[in-house]
Amino acid sequence: MNAADKIILFSGQRPQLSATQYRVVAYTGNGELLADDFHARVAGIARHLRQRPEQRWALVCDDTFWFAVGFLALARARKTLIFPQASGPANVAEAQAAAVLTDQPTRFPSLVTLDVAAVTESGTAVGTDLDDELLIELYTSGSTGRPKRVDKLLGQLRAEVAALEVQWGQTLGDAVVLATVPHHHLYGLLFRVLWPLWAGRPFYAPTCEQAFEFNTAASRFGRCLMVSSPAFLTRVTDFGRLQPSDAFRAVFSSGAPLPEATAAKIANESGRAAIEVYGSTETGGIAWRDWEPEVGQTPWHCLTGVEIAAPGNTPGLLRVRSPWTWRADWVETGDLGQALAQRRFLLHGRADSVLKVEDKRVSLAEMERHLVAHEFVSEARLLVLKGKRSSVGAVVVLSAAGRRQLQQAGAQKVRKLLLEMLRTWYEPVLVPRKWRFVESLPGNAMGKIESARLQALFTERG
Amino acid sequence: MNTLIDELKQLIIRVLDLEDVTPADIDPQAPLFGDGLGLDSIDALELGVAIQKHYHITLDATSAETRQHFYSLANLAKFITERQAS
Repeated sequence: MNAADKIILFSGQRPQLSATQYRVVAYTGNGELLADDFHARVAGIARHLRQRPEQRWALVCDDTFWFAVGFLALARARKTLIFPQASGPANVAEAQAAAVLTDQPTRFPSLVTLDVAAVTESGTAVGTDLDDELLIELYTSGSTGRPKRVDKLLGQLRAEVAALEVQWGQTLGDAVVLATVPHHHLYGLLFRVLWPLWAGRPFYAPTCEQAFEFNTAASRFGRCLMVSSPAFLTRVTDFGRLQPSDAFRAVFSSGAPLPEATAAKIANESGRAAIEVYGSTETGGIAWRDWEPEVGQTPWHCLTGVEIAAPGNTPGLLRVRSPWTWRADWVETGDLGQALAQRRFLLHGRADSVLKVEDKRVSLAEMERHLVAHEFVSEARLLVLKGKRSSVGAVVVLSAAGRRQLQQAGAQKVRKLLLEMLRTWYEPVLVPRKWRFVESLPGNAMGKIESARLQALFTERG
Repeated sequence: MNTLIDELKQLIIRVLDLEDVTPADIDPQAPLFGDGLGLDSIDALELGVAIQKHYHITLDATSAETRQHFYSLANLAKFITERQAS
Protein backbone atom coordinates (compact mmCIF):
# COMPACT_ATOMS: atom_id res chain seq x y z
CA MET A 1 0.00 0.00 0.00
CA ASN A 2 1.50 3.34 -0.92
CA ALA A 3 1.07 6.51 1.09
CA ALA A 4 -1.62 7.83 -1.24
CA ASP A 5 -3.92 4.92 -0.43
CA LYS A 6 -3.54 5.50 3.27
CA ILE A 7 -4.73 9.07 3.44
CA ILE A 8 -8.34 8.06 3.45
CA LEU A 9 -9.72 11.11 5.09
CA PHE A 10 -12.92 11.13 3.14
CA SER A 11 -14.67 8.84 0.75
CA GLY A 12 -15.38 9.89 -2.80
CA GLN A 13 -13.29 10.80 -5.78
CA ARG A 14 -9.82 12.08 -4.99
CA PRO A 15 -7.54 14.41 -6.90
CA GLN A 16 -5.02 12.81 -9.21
CA LEU A 17 -1.61 13.44 -7.67
CA SER A 18 1.39 11.19 -7.71
CA ALA A 19 2.32 9.06 -4.69
CA THR A 20 5.40 11.17 -4.05
CA GLN A 21 3.14 14.17 -3.49
CA TYR A 22 1.50 12.29 -0.62
CA ARG A 23 4.85 11.37 0.97
CA VAL A 24 5.21 14.56 3.04
CA VAL A 25 2.18 15.51 5.11
CA ALA A 26 3.62 18.61 6.73
CA TYR A 27 6.76 20.70 7.02
CA THR A 28 8.03 21.98 10.35
CA GLY A 29 10.39 24.93 10.82
CA ASN A 30 13.30 22.89 9.50
CA GLY A 31 12.12 19.34 8.88
CA GLU A 32 9.40 17.30 7.24
CA LEU A 33 6.80 14.92 8.60
CA LEU A 34 6.20 11.88 6.49
CA ALA A 35 2.88 10.23 5.71
CA ASP A 36 3.92 6.86 7.19
CA ASP A 37 4.75 8.42 10.54
CA PHE A 38 1.61 10.53 10.46
CA HIS A 39 -0.64 7.53 9.88
CA ALA A 40 1.07 5.36 12.46
CA ARG A 41 0.46 8.09 15.04
CA VAL A 42 -3.16 8.58 14.00
CA ALA A 43 -3.80 4.85 14.24
CA GLY A 44 -2.10 4.56 17.63
CA ILE A 45 -3.95 7.47 19.19
CA ALA A 46 -7.26 6.29 17.71
CA ARG A 47 -6.69 2.87 19.26
CA HIS A 48 -5.99 4.52 22.62
CA LEU A 49 -9.07 6.75 22.33
CA ARG A 50 -11.38 3.84 21.55
CA GLN A 51 -10.64 2.45 25.01
CA ARG A 52 -11.45 5.73 26.73
CA PRO A 53 -14.96 6.17 28.18
CA GLU A 54 -15.22 9.89 27.34
CA GLN A 55 -17.26 10.60 24.20
CA ARG A 56 -16.99 14.40 23.92
CA TRP A 57 -13.42 15.59 23.20
CA ALA A 58 -12.15 19.11 22.79
CA LEU A 59 -9.18 19.34 20.41
CA VAL A 60 -6.82 22.16 21.43
CA CYS A 61 -3.36 22.16 19.84
CA ASP A 62 -0.95 25.03 19.21
CA ASP A 63 0.87 23.09 16.50
CA THR A 64 -1.04 22.36 13.30
CA PHE A 65 0.67 19.00 12.76
CA TRP A 66 -0.59 17.73 16.14
CA PHE A 67 -3.96 19.28 15.42
CA ALA A 68 -4.22 17.28 12.18
CA VAL A 69 -3.13 14.06 13.92
CA GLY A 70 -5.66 14.69 16.70
CA PHE A 71 -8.47 15.44 14.27
CA LEU A 72 -8.06 12.21 12.36
CA ALA A 73 -7.51 10.11 15.49
CA LEU A 74 -10.71 11.41 17.13
CA ALA A 75 -12.63 10.91 13.91
CA ARG A 76 -11.36 7.34 13.56
CA ALA A 77 -12.30 6.61 17.17
CA ARG A 78 -15.78 8.06 16.45
CA LYS A 79 -15.58 10.64 19.21
CA THR A 80 -17.51 13.92 19.07
CA LEU A 81 -15.02 16.62 18.07
CA ILE A 82 -15.27 19.98 19.83
CA PHE A 83 -13.44 23.15 18.81
CA PRO A 84 -13.88 25.73 21.59
CA GLN A 85 -14.08 29.39 20.60
CA ALA A 86 -10.56 30.01 21.91
CA SER A 87 -7.80 27.88 23.44
CA GLY A 88 -8.21 28.64 27.17
CA PRO A 89 -9.49 26.31 29.93
CA ALA A 90 -12.65 28.43 30.34
CA ASN A 91 -13.52 27.93 26.67
CA VAL A 92 -13.15 24.16 27.00
CA ALA A 93 -15.36 24.14 30.10
CA GLU A 94 -18.00 26.27 28.37
CA ALA A 95 -18.10 23.80 25.47
CA GLN A 96 -18.85 20.97 27.93
CA ALA A 97 -16.14 18.67 26.73
CA ALA A 98 -15.46 15.57 28.85
CA ALA A 99 -11.76 15.58 27.99
CA VAL A 100 -9.13 17.51 26.01
CA LEU A 101 -6.79 16.11 23.37
CA THR A 102 -3.95 18.61 23.34
CA ASP A 103 -0.25 19.32 22.80
CA GLN A 104 -0.41 21.75 25.78
CA PRO A 105 -1.54 19.51 28.70
CA THR A 106 -0.22 21.85 31.40
CA ARG A 107 -2.70 24.52 30.29
CA PHE A 108 -5.61 22.42 31.57
CA PRO A 109 -4.66 21.33 35.11
CA SER A 110 -8.24 20.75 36.27
CA LEU A 111 -9.49 18.87 33.21
CA VAL A 112 -9.04 15.34 31.90
CA THR A 113 -6.39 15.59 29.20
CA LEU A 114 -4.54 13.36 26.78
CA ASP A 115 -1.19 14.62 25.51
CA VAL A 116 -1.37 14.00 21.77
CA ALA A 117 2.42 14.03 21.48
CA ALA A 118 2.98 11.55 24.32
CA VAL A 119 0.92 8.58 23.13
CA THR A 120 3.46 5.88 22.43
CA GLU A 121 1.14 3.31 20.93
CA SER A 122 1.33 3.12 17.22
CA GLY A 123 -0.72 1.18 14.79
CA THR A 124 -1.01 0.25 11.19
CA ALA A 125 -3.26 2.45 9.15
CA VAL A 126 -6.64 0.95 8.52
CA GLY A 127 -8.03 1.95 5.19
CA THR A 128 -11.63 2.40 6.23
CA ASP A 129 -13.66 5.46 5.40
CA LEU A 130 -14.62 7.82 8.16
CA ASP A 131 -18.20 8.21 9.27
CA ASP A 132 -19.84 11.10 7.39
CA GLU A 133 -22.39 11.43 10.21
CA LEU A 134 -19.72 12.14 12.83
CA LEU A 135 -20.63 15.26 14.85
CA ILE A 136 -18.27 18.25 14.99
CA GLU A 137 -19.03 21.23 17.23
CA LEU A 138 -17.55 24.64 16.43
CA TYR A 139 -18.01 27.94 18.25
CA THR A 140 -18.42 31.47 17.03
CA SER A 141 -19.58 34.75 18.57
CA GLY A 142 -23.33 35.22 18.41
CA SER A 143 -25.25 38.43 18.98
CA THR A 144 -27.04 37.12 22.08
CA GLY A 145 -24.23 37.44 24.59
CA ARG A 146 -23.08 33.83 24.66
CA PRO A 147 -20.73 31.93 22.34
CA LYS A 148 -22.81 30.26 19.67
CA ARG A 149 -22.36 26.56 18.97
CA VAL A 150 -22.48 25.53 15.32
CA ASP A 151 -22.84 21.83 14.56
CA LYS A 152 -21.36 20.21 11.46
CA LEU A 153 -21.25 16.65 10.23
CA LEU A 154 -17.97 15.34 8.87
CA GLY A 155 -19.75 14.76 5.54
CA GLN A 156 -20.43 18.50 5.27
CA LEU A 157 -16.73 19.28 5.62
CA ARG A 158 -15.90 16.58 3.08
CA ALA A 159 -18.37 18.07 0.59
CA GLU A 160 -16.95 21.55 1.05
CA VAL A 161 -13.34 20.46 0.65
CA ALA A 162 -14.29 18.65 -2.56
CA ALA A 163 -15.89 21.85 -3.90
CA LEU A 164 -12.73 23.84 -3.08
CA GLU A 165 -10.64 21.32 -4.99
CA VAL A 166 -12.96 21.55 -8.01
CA GLN A 167 -12.59 25.34 -7.97
CA TRP A 168 -8.84 25.70 -7.41
CA GLY A 169 -7.14 22.28 -7.44
CA GLN A 170 -5.66 22.67 -10.92
CA THR A 171 -4.17 26.08 -10.14
CA LEU A 172 -2.63 24.96 -6.87
CA GLY A 173 -1.10 21.65 -7.94
CA ASP A 174 1.40 20.49 -5.36
CA ALA A 175 1.90 23.88 -3.63
CA VAL A 176 2.80 23.92 0.07
CA VAL A 177 0.06 25.48 2.21
CA LEU A 178 1.24 28.42 4.37
CA ALA A 179 -1.17 30.09 6.78
CA THR A 180 -1.60 33.07 9.06
CA VAL A 181 -5.01 32.10 10.47
CA PRO A 182 -5.86 29.70 13.35
CA HIS A 183 -6.74 26.09 12.55
CA HIS A 184 -9.61 25.75 15.03
CA HIS A 185 -11.99 28.11 13.24
CA LEU A 186 -13.77 26.88 10.13
CA TYR A 187 -11.76 28.81 7.53
CA GLY A 188 -8.42 27.57 8.87
CA LEU A 189 -9.76 24.08 9.59
CA LEU A 190 -10.81 23.68 5.95
CA PHE A 191 -8.14 25.63 4.09
CA ARG A 192 -5.00 24.82 6.05
CA VAL A 193 -5.77 21.32 7.42
CA LEU A 194 -8.55 19.28 5.84
CA TRP A 195 -8.24 20.42 2.23
CA PRO A 196 -4.45 19.84 2.14
CA LEU A 197 -4.79 16.45 3.86
CA TRP A 198 -7.43 15.34 1.42
CA ALA A 199 -5.75 16.72 -1.69
CA GLY A 200 -2.29 15.48 -0.71
CA ARG A 201 -0.80 18.96 -0.50
CA PRO A 202 1.75 19.33 2.29
CA PHE A 203 1.06 22.05 4.81
CA TYR A 204 3.55 24.16 6.76
CA ALA A 205 2.81 23.43 10.45
CA PRO A 206 3.82 26.75 12.08
CA THR A 207 1.52 29.74 11.75
CA CYS A 208 3.32 32.57 9.94
CA GLU A 209 3.29 35.66 12.13
CA GLN A 210 5.46 38.01 10.09
CA ALA A 211 5.31 38.82 6.39
CA PHE A 212 9.00 38.02 5.96
CA GLU A 213 8.39 34.38 6.98
CA PHE A 214 6.67 33.95 3.62
CA ASN A 215 9.89 34.87 1.81
CA THR A 216 11.83 32.35 3.86
CA ALA A 217 9.23 29.65 3.21
CA ALA A 218 8.80 30.53 -0.47
CA SER A 219 12.50 30.21 -1.18
CA ARG A 220 12.60 26.92 0.75
CA PHE A 221 9.61 25.27 -0.97
CA GLY A 222 9.64 26.98 -4.38
CA ARG A 223 5.87 26.65 -4.67
CA CYS A 224 3.26 27.67 -2.11
CA LEU A 225 -0.08 29.22 -1.41
CA MET A 226 -1.13 31.53 1.38
CA VAL A 227 -4.19 31.18 3.60
CA SER A 228 -4.60 34.59 5.18
CA SER A 229 -6.94 37.38 6.18
CA PRO A 230 -7.30 41.16 5.72
CA ALA A 231 -5.87 41.78 9.23
CA PHE A 232 -2.60 40.25 8.03
CA LEU A 233 -2.57 41.26 4.38
CA THR A 234 -3.24 44.96 5.05
CA ARG A 235 -0.02 45.02 7.12
CA VAL A 236 2.30 43.49 4.54
CA THR A 237 4.33 46.39 3.21
CA ASP A 238 5.75 44.86 0.07
CA PHE A 239 4.22 41.94 -1.86
CA GLY A 240 6.97 42.28 -4.46
CA ARG A 241 9.27 40.74 -1.89
CA LEU A 242 7.39 37.45 -2.00
CA GLN A 243 10.08 35.74 -4.02
CA PRO A 244 10.34 33.96 -6.31
CA SER A 245 7.20 35.71 -7.53
CA ASP A 246 5.92 32.65 -9.40
CA ALA A 247 6.19 30.61 -6.19
CA PHE A 248 2.86 31.95 -4.97
CA ARG A 249 0.13 30.06 -6.74
CA ALA A 250 -2.65 31.75 -4.74
CA VAL A 251 -3.26 34.14 -1.88
CA PHE A 252 -6.57 33.40 -0.13
CA SER A 253 -8.19 36.01 2.10
CA SER A 254 -11.25 35.54 4.27
CA GLY A 255 -12.81 36.95 7.44
CA ALA A 256 -13.82 40.37 6.12
CA PRO A 257 -13.71 42.20 2.79
CA LEU A 258 -10.17 42.99 1.65
CA PRO A 259 -9.79 46.78 1.44
CA GLU A 260 -9.65 48.01 -2.16
CA ALA A 261 -6.17 49.49 -1.75
CA THR A 262 -4.73 46.23 -0.36
CA ALA A 263 -6.35 44.15 -3.12
CA ALA A 264 -4.88 46.49 -5.74
CA LYS A 265 -1.47 46.42 -4.07
CA ILE A 266 -1.39 42.60 -4.01
CA ALA A 267 -2.35 42.41 -7.69
CA ASN A 268 0.15 45.07 -8.78
CA GLU A 269 3.14 43.92 -6.73
CA SER A 270 2.76 40.14 -6.83
CA GLY A 271 1.23 39.96 -10.30
CA ARG A 272 -1.59 37.81 -8.98
CA ALA A 273 -4.97 38.91 -7.61
CA ALA A 274 -5.85 37.71 -4.12
CA ILE A 275 -8.77 35.28 -4.00
CA GLU A 276 -11.32 36.48 -1.48
CA VAL A 277 -13.56 33.83 0.05
CA TYR A 278 -16.89 34.75 1.64
CA GLY A 279 -18.51 32.48 4.20
CA SER A 280 -19.21 32.02 7.90
CA THR A 281 -19.08 29.30 10.52
CA GLU A 282 -22.83 28.73 10.17
CA THR A 283 -22.93 28.53 6.36
CA GLY A 284 -19.45 27.34 5.42
CA GLY A 285 -18.01 28.73 2.20
CA ILE A 286 -20.44 30.65 0.00
CA ALA A 287 -18.63 32.54 -2.72
CA TRP A 288 -15.34 33.91 -4.00
CA ARG A 289 -14.00 36.75 -6.11
CA ASP A 290 -10.75 37.94 -7.69
CA TRP A 291 -10.17 41.64 -7.41
CA GLU A 292 -10.65 43.42 -10.72
CA PRO A 293 -9.45 46.96 -11.36
CA GLU A 294 -11.98 49.69 -12.00
CA VAL A 295 -15.22 47.80 -11.49
CA GLY A 296 -16.29 49.45 -8.24
CA GLN A 297 -17.55 46.64 -6.04
CA THR A 298 -16.43 43.32 -7.52
CA PRO A 299 -19.35 40.82 -7.52
CA TRP A 300 -19.07 37.48 -5.68
CA HIS A 301 -19.35 34.17 -7.58
CA CYS A 302 -21.11 31.27 -5.82
CA LEU A 303 -18.95 28.22 -5.19
CA THR A 304 -19.98 25.08 -7.08
CA GLY A 305 -23.07 23.61 -5.41
CA VAL A 306 -24.10 26.82 -3.60
CA GLU A 307 -27.54 28.36 -4.12
CA ILE A 308 -28.35 31.85 -2.85
CA ALA A 309 -31.59 33.72 -2.30
CA ALA A 310 -31.62 37.52 -2.09
CA PRO A 311 -33.64 40.32 -3.67
CA GLY A 312 -32.42 41.54 -7.07
CA ASN A 313 -33.55 45.16 -6.98
CA THR A 314 -32.60 46.21 -3.46
CA PRO A 315 -30.29 44.79 -0.74
CA GLY A 316 -31.98 42.24 1.52
CA LEU A 317 -31.16 39.36 3.84
CA LEU A 318 -28.97 36.84 2.02
CA ARG A 319 -29.88 33.17 2.46
CA VAL A 320 -27.75 30.20 1.40
CA ARG A 321 -28.18 26.50 0.71
CA SER A 322 -25.40 24.08 -0.21
CA PRO A 323 -24.30 20.46 0.28
CA TRP A 324 -22.42 21.72 3.36
CA THR A 325 -25.17 23.68 5.09
CA TRP A 326 -26.91 21.69 7.86
CA ARG A 327 -28.93 18.88 6.20
CA ALA A 328 -28.44 20.79 2.91
CA ASP A 329 -31.12 23.25 4.05
CA TRP A 330 -31.41 27.06 3.76
CA VAL A 331 -29.42 29.16 6.27
CA GLU A 332 -29.69 32.91 6.87
CA THR A 333 -26.34 34.70 6.71
CA GLY A 334 -27.12 37.89 8.66
CA ASP A 335 -25.58 39.80 5.73
CA LEU A 336 -27.39 42.03 3.25
CA GLY A 337 -27.05 40.82 -0.33
CA GLN A 338 -28.28 41.70 -3.80
CA ALA A 339 -28.57 38.97 -6.42
CA LEU A 340 -27.10 39.44 -9.89
CA ALA A 341 -27.25 37.24 -13.00
CA GLN A 342 -25.08 34.10 -13.42
CA ARG A 343 -25.01 33.03 -9.75
CA ARG A 344 -23.33 36.24 -8.68
CA PHE A 345 -24.25 38.77 -6.01
CA LEU A 346 -23.16 41.91 -4.18
CA LEU A 347 -22.78 42.34 -0.42
CA HIS A 348 -23.95 45.40 1.51
CA GLY A 349 -22.87 44.88 5.14
CA ARG A 350 -24.56 43.28 8.15
CA ALA A 351 -28.28 43.06 8.83
CA ASP A 352 -27.71 42.75 12.61
CA SER A 353 -25.42 44.16 15.28
CA VAL A 354 -22.62 41.57 15.08
CA LEU A 355 -19.29 43.39 15.02
CA LYS A 356 -15.84 42.50 13.80
CA VAL A 357 -12.52 43.50 15.29
CA GLU A 358 -9.62 42.80 12.93
CA ASP A 359 -11.70 40.19 11.03
CA LYS A 360 -12.81 38.41 14.21
CA ARG A 361 -16.46 38.35 15.10
CA VAL A 362 -17.07 39.51 18.65
CA SER A 363 -20.12 39.92 20.84
CA LEU A 364 -19.60 42.94 23.08
CA ALA A 365 -22.64 41.92 25.16
CA GLU A 366 -20.93 38.63 25.97
CA MET A 367 -17.70 40.35 27.02
CA GLU A 368 -19.65 42.84 29.15
CA ARG A 369 -21.31 39.87 30.89
CA HIS A 370 -17.86 38.46 31.77
CA LEU A 371 -16.68 41.84 33.10
CA VAL A 372 -19.75 42.41 35.26
CA ALA A 373 -19.34 38.91 36.71
CA HIS A 374 -15.98 40.03 38.16
CA GLU A 375 -16.02 41.21 41.79
CA PHE A 376 -14.33 44.50 40.87
CA VAL A 377 -16.95 45.58 38.34
CA SER A 378 -20.46 46.87 38.82
CA GLU A 379 -21.19 48.14 35.29
CA ALA A 380 -19.36 47.91 31.98
CA ARG A 381 -19.87 49.14 28.42
CA LEU A 382 -17.65 48.08 25.54
CA LEU A 383 -17.24 49.68 22.15
CA VAL A 384 -15.19 49.22 19.01
CA LEU A 385 -12.55 51.91 18.58
CA LYS A 386 -11.41 52.75 15.07
CA GLY A 387 -7.88 53.90 14.40
CA LYS A 388 -4.82 52.51 12.68
CA ARG A 389 -6.22 49.19 13.94
CA SER A 390 -9.66 48.40 15.28
CA SER A 391 -9.81 47.38 18.94
CA VAL A 392 -12.16 47.12 21.89
CA GLY A 393 -12.41 49.94 24.45
CA ALA A 394 -13.82 49.34 27.93
CA VAL A 395 -15.71 51.85 30.08
CA VAL A 396 -16.03 50.43 33.59
CA VAL A 397 -17.78 51.49 36.79
CA LEU A 398 -15.94 49.76 39.62
CA SER A 399 -17.65 48.06 42.56
CA ALA A 400 -16.69 48.88 46.16
CA ALA A 401 -14.10 46.08 46.03
CA GLY A 402 -12.80 47.40 42.73
CA ARG A 403 -12.47 50.93 44.09
CA ARG A 404 -10.55 49.64 47.11
CA GLN A 405 -8.17 47.79 44.77
CA LEU A 406 -7.78 50.92 42.65
CA GLN A 407 -6.81 53.01 45.70
CA GLN A 408 -4.39 50.41 47.03
CA ALA A 409 -2.76 49.12 43.86
CA GLY A 410 -3.55 51.63 41.13
CA ALA A 411 -5.47 51.56 37.84
CA GLN A 412 -2.76 49.64 36.03
CA LYS A 413 -3.08 46.72 38.44
CA VAL A 414 -6.90 46.68 38.23
CA ARG A 415 -6.69 46.70 34.44
CA LYS A 416 -4.15 43.87 34.51
CA LEU A 417 -6.37 41.67 36.70
CA LEU A 418 -9.43 42.26 34.52
CA LEU A 419 -7.38 41.53 31.39
CA GLU A 420 -6.11 38.29 32.89
CA MET A 421 -9.70 37.18 33.47
CA LEU A 422 -10.79 38.13 29.93
CA ARG A 423 -7.77 36.39 28.38
CA THR A 424 -9.02 33.07 29.76
CA TRP A 425 -12.05 33.55 27.48
CA TYR A 426 -10.88 35.58 24.50
CA GLU A 427 -8.19 35.59 21.85
CA PRO A 428 -5.60 38.30 22.55
CA VAL A 429 -6.74 40.47 19.61
CA LEU A 430 -10.22 40.86 21.12
CA VAL A 431 -9.46 41.90 24.72
CA PRO A 432 -9.83 45.65 25.41
CA ARG A 433 -6.72 47.72 24.65
CA LYS A 434 -7.99 50.92 26.24
CA TRP A 435 -9.75 51.29 29.59
CA ARG A 436 -11.64 54.12 31.24
CA PHE A 437 -12.69 53.83 34.88
CA VAL A 438 -15.62 56.18 35.50
CA GLU A 439 -17.94 57.11 38.39
CA SER A 440 -21.04 56.42 36.31
CA LEU A 441 -21.77 55.54 32.70
CA PRO A 442 -22.50 58.62 30.59
CA GLY A 443 -26.26 58.67 29.97
CA ASN A 444 -28.64 61.24 28.52
CA ALA A 445 -31.70 62.69 30.26
CA MET A 446 -33.68 59.58 29.30
CA GLY A 447 -31.15 57.34 31.05
CA LYS A 448 -29.98 55.87 27.72
CA ILE A 449 -26.25 55.29 27.28
CA GLU A 450 -25.03 57.34 24.37
CA SER A 451 -22.41 55.72 22.20
CA ALA A 452 -21.07 59.11 21.06
CA ARG A 453 -20.34 60.04 24.67
CA LEU A 454 -18.64 56.67 25.26
CA GLN A 455 -16.49 57.23 22.16
CA ALA A 456 -15.61 60.72 23.41
CA LEU A 457 -14.05 59.22 26.55
CA PHE A 458 -11.37 57.73 24.31
CA THR A 459 -10.80 60.58 21.86
CA GLU A 460 -10.41 63.23 24.55
CA ARG A 461 -7.30 61.62 25.94
CA GLY A 462 -5.93 60.88 22.49
CA MET B 1 22.84 47.68 23.60
CA ASN B 2 21.14 49.59 26.45
CA THR B 3 20.52 52.55 24.16
CA LEU B 4 18.95 50.22 21.63
CA ILE B 5 16.71 48.67 24.29
CA ASP B 6 15.55 52.11 25.45
CA GLU B 7 14.91 53.11 21.87
CA LEU B 8 12.91 49.93 21.24
CA LYS B 9 10.79 50.58 24.34
CA GLN B 10 9.86 54.01 22.97
CA LEU B 11 9.22 52.55 19.53
CA ILE B 12 6.91 49.84 20.92
CA ILE B 13 4.88 52.29 23.00
CA ARG B 14 4.54 54.76 20.14
CA VAL B 15 3.93 52.38 17.22
CA LEU B 16 1.55 50.13 19.10
CA ASP B 17 -0.23 53.04 20.80
CA LEU B 18 0.03 51.45 24.27
CA GLU B 19 -1.82 53.45 26.89
CA ASP B 20 -0.62 53.70 30.48
CA VAL B 21 2.63 51.86 29.70
CA THR B 22 5.91 53.62 30.48
CA PRO B 23 9.38 52.42 29.35
CA ALA B 24 10.05 51.41 32.95
CA ASP B 25 7.08 49.00 32.82
CA ILE B 26 8.70 46.95 30.05
CA ASP B 27 11.07 44.30 31.37
CA PRO B 28 13.59 43.50 28.60
CA GLN B 29 13.65 39.83 29.63
CA ALA B 30 9.85 39.37 29.95
CA PRO B 31 7.73 37.91 27.13
CA LEU B 32 6.31 40.57 24.81
CA PHE B 33 3.26 38.44 24.03
CA GLY B 34 0.73 36.58 26.18
CA ASP B 35 1.37 36.81 29.91
CA GLY B 36 4.12 39.45 29.74
CA LEU B 37 3.40 42.77 28.06
CA GLY B 38 0.28 41.22 26.53
CA LEU B 39 0.88 42.09 22.88
CA ASP B 40 -1.16 40.26 20.22
CA SER B 41 -0.67 39.00 16.67
CA ILE B 42 -1.51 42.38 15.09
CA ASP B 43 1.08 44.04 17.36
CA ALA B 44 3.63 41.44 16.22
CA LEU B 45 3.04 42.35 12.59
CA GLU B 46 3.11 46.10 13.20
CA LEU B 47 6.28 45.73 15.23
CA GLY B 48 7.96 43.67 12.50
CA VAL B 49 7.12 46.30 9.89
CA ALA B 50 8.22 49.20 12.12
CA ILE B 51 11.57 47.60 12.93
CA GLN B 52 12.42 46.98 9.28
CA LYS B 53 11.51 50.56 8.43
CA HIS B 54 13.18 52.23 11.40
CA TYR B 55 16.47 50.30 11.23
CA HIS B 56 16.56 49.91 7.43
CA ILE B 57 17.05 46.17 7.69
CA THR B 58 15.48 43.30 5.80
CA LEU B 59 14.43 40.45 8.03
CA ASP B 60 14.50 36.84 6.98
CA ALA B 61 13.82 33.93 9.32
CA THR B 62 11.75 30.79 9.74
CA SER B 63 8.70 30.81 11.99
CA ALA B 64 10.48 29.15 14.91
CA GLU B 65 13.39 31.62 14.72
CA THR B 66 11.00 34.53 14.43
CA ARG B 67 9.17 33.44 17.56
CA GLN B 68 12.52 33.35 19.37
CA HIS B 69 13.63 36.77 18.09
CA PHE B 70 10.32 38.39 19.05
CA TYR B 71 10.06 36.62 22.41
CA SER B 72 11.42 39.52 24.47
CA LEU B 73 12.86 42.98 24.04
CA ALA B 74 16.36 41.68 24.80
CA ASN B 75 16.08 39.03 22.06
CA LEU B 76 14.77 41.61 19.64
CA ALA B 77 17.67 43.99 20.34
CA LYS B 78 20.14 41.16 19.78
CA PHE B 79 18.46 40.21 16.50
CA ILE B 80 18.51 43.80 15.21
CA THR B 81 22.18 44.21 16.15
CA GLU B 82 23.09 41.05 14.24
CA ARG B 83 21.18 42.15 11.15
CA GLN B 84 22.72 45.60 11.19
CA ALA B 85 26.19 44.06 11.32
CA SER B 86 25.59 41.66 8.42
